[in-house]
Amino acid sequence: MFWRLLWKLLRGSSGRLVVAILALVSGGMVISALLNLEFDIERKLTQEFRMLGANLVISPGHDAAQMPGAAPSALMNESDAFAAIQNLKDPAVVAAVPFLYIVERADDTPVVVAGTKLEDLPKLEPSWRIEGQWTSSRDDQIPCVVGRNVVQQLHLALNSPLHLSYVGKTAQLTVVGIVDAGGAEDNQVFLQLPEVQSFAGLPGQIGLVQLSVRGTAKSISDYAARLATALPAYEVRPIRQVTEAEGDLLNRIRLLIVSMVLLILVLTALCVLATMAALAMERRQDVGLMKALGGSITRIVALFMAEVGVLGAAGGLVGAILGIELSRWMGQRVFGTAISVRWEIFPLTIALMVAVALAGALPLRLLGKVKPAVIFRGE
Amino acid sequence: MATLVQVEDLRKEFGNVCALAGVSFRVEAGEWIAIMGPSGSGKTTLINILGGLDTPTSGQAIVDTVDVGRLDESGLTRFRAQKIGFIFQQFHLVPYLTALENVMLAQYFHSTTDEKEAREALERVGLGDRIEHLPGKLSGGEQQRVAVARALINHPKLILADEPTGNLDEANEETVIQLFRDLHREGHTILMVTHASSIGNLADRRIEFAHGRLVQVPASLKSAT
Ligand SMILES: Nc1ncnc2c1ncn2[C@@H]1O[C@H](COP(=O)(O)OP(=O)(O)OP(=O)(O)O)[C@@H](O)[C@H]1O
Ligand SMILES: [Mg+2]
Repeated sequence: MFWRLLWKLLRGSSGRLVVAILALVSGGMVISALLNLEFDIERKLTQEFRMLGANLVISPGHDAAQMPGAAPSALMNESDAFAAIQNLKDPAVVAAVPFLYIVERADDTPVVVAGTKLEDLPKLEPSWRIEGQWTSSRDDQIPCVVGRNVVQQLHLALNSPLHLSYVGKTAQLTVVGIVDAGGAEDNQVFLQLPEVQSFAGLPGQIGLVQLSVRGTAKSISDYAARLATALPAYEVRPIRQVTEAEGDLLNRIRLLIVSMVLLILVLTALCVLATMAALAMERRQDVGLMKALGGSITRIVALFMAEVGVLGAAGGLVGAILGIELSRWMGQRVFGTAISVRWEIFPLTIALMVAVALAGALPLRLLGKVKPAVIFRGE
Repeated sequence: MATLVQVEDLRKEFGNVCALAGVSFRVEAGEWIAIMGPSGSGKTTLINILGGLDTPTSGQAIVDTVDVGRLDESGLTRFRAQKIGFIFQQFHLVPYLTALENVMLAQYFHSTTDEKEAREALERVGLGDRIEHLPGKLSGGEQQRVAVARALINHPKLILADEPTGNLDEANEETVIQLFRDLHREGHTILMVTHASSIGNLADRRIEFAHGRLVQVPASLKSAT
């Protein structure tokens, strides 16, 4: 009978309750969208920032800061550095790429040549745009990837040959890719590391390692600290501008989301409150009757509270479904990428909406004061 | 016969309005009492106190050995559920519940629902074919019969009816009064407020009110309304 009564109550006041359920659905929708963003945003943002490229650098000692393009004043041992990275086995490391920079000449023009792992560059710098290939597996040519400014300067094109010379040695390369990095790298030529090492007569030596590490500012600097312990002779430093901006932005967005969620919860509760106050007035007659029939106030109010709870749960469920869609749409708009669905949003939104509905149902407690004798006289 | 209702010097004041100014009488189990008197004389106030909907200012109202004035809120609630069957002038059915559900509502608040029993109660008052109707789809007389079925469903000790035919036309009044006659014959104790002396005459006894007091009327001297 409880559920039957509940159902009849819901149907009997459906007109009024539509307002409350609309409030709950829309509240639930925005809240679940925001929460889904909030849960996903950390992952999303760190991914976004990783798009900016390497966020950790291993370089030779403190006094020998190695700038790309500078002469190889100080060098590191390639196998030492990579052994340390390997030993830490951190799955957050997306890419770890060695670099050895020398300045060679193309005809009479000096160009910065970076020896690296061509095939790992797209992992390290996913935002770089490539025309052609990153590398080539053909045995009869030495592949190189050329920055877009160099291409213009030297009038190169895909598959055109490129002659480089370095203190008396020469090499003939084939341009397999043209890269648009949107930065200093557009002035560089990228070769496989061993080519540059043998050119420079520096086998096994590198200038620096750039890493792309997934995670929060804190987890990245934790990883950097562990790496530094494993490589005491070298310097390991996060590229600070990115990671700090990341943490700061994340916090501000979080604050914004949390305060909006709170605001919406309050607004939804107020809307439910107004509806329920009107409903309580409307039901005074029925409550008077129920009391006259021997219904205890606990049972009567429990009935109404269950009704409101059902509304909250339904509003929360529908709201969560719509909200997930909304957050996907927002993700598409704001981040240009898909936001993944966090399933814990459903129970969370439903619980929040039930709580809000019950808070909004406080006026129903006034029904406890209804005196049947007074109600019946009022007719 | 055992005394079911005993009222001793019952008073009820609303602010400075004195609705009952010291009323005493008894009702034996199985009696049908008509309560009569002009408007504002305290009839409804008495019914409300006997039914545990209101509490007296002073004096005693004992129903089936329970002193109603001494019960607290939850005691009154239980008292109403277990001892009293109300029938009101305005029917007071819940508009969004069917006839059957209105009867079951009383079962629900009393103890547990029994749909079969509720159906039988409606068949008894001649509404076997109106069981799933909403009150809005029933005539006044039919609604009042639902209310009678509801009042009886928990086997109350005392039936309190406040002008049960006050809102009915003659034909409907007839059917409802016939129900009360049946109830009386079956041994129910009934206190019924009425303005119609024709109905009052059907009762075993009449109690006349005026200004919150009882007026003793000789059976021969009948007051018209
Ligand atoms: N809750 C209340 N507050 C204030 N005064 C009340 C209240 N209930 C009843 N009264 C007053 O008590 C007196 C008796 O009222 P009551 O309703 O018992 O009369 P009644 O005999 O039932 O009248 P009627 O035949 O019109 O129904 C009236 O003067 C009424 O105004
Ligand atoms: Mg009255």
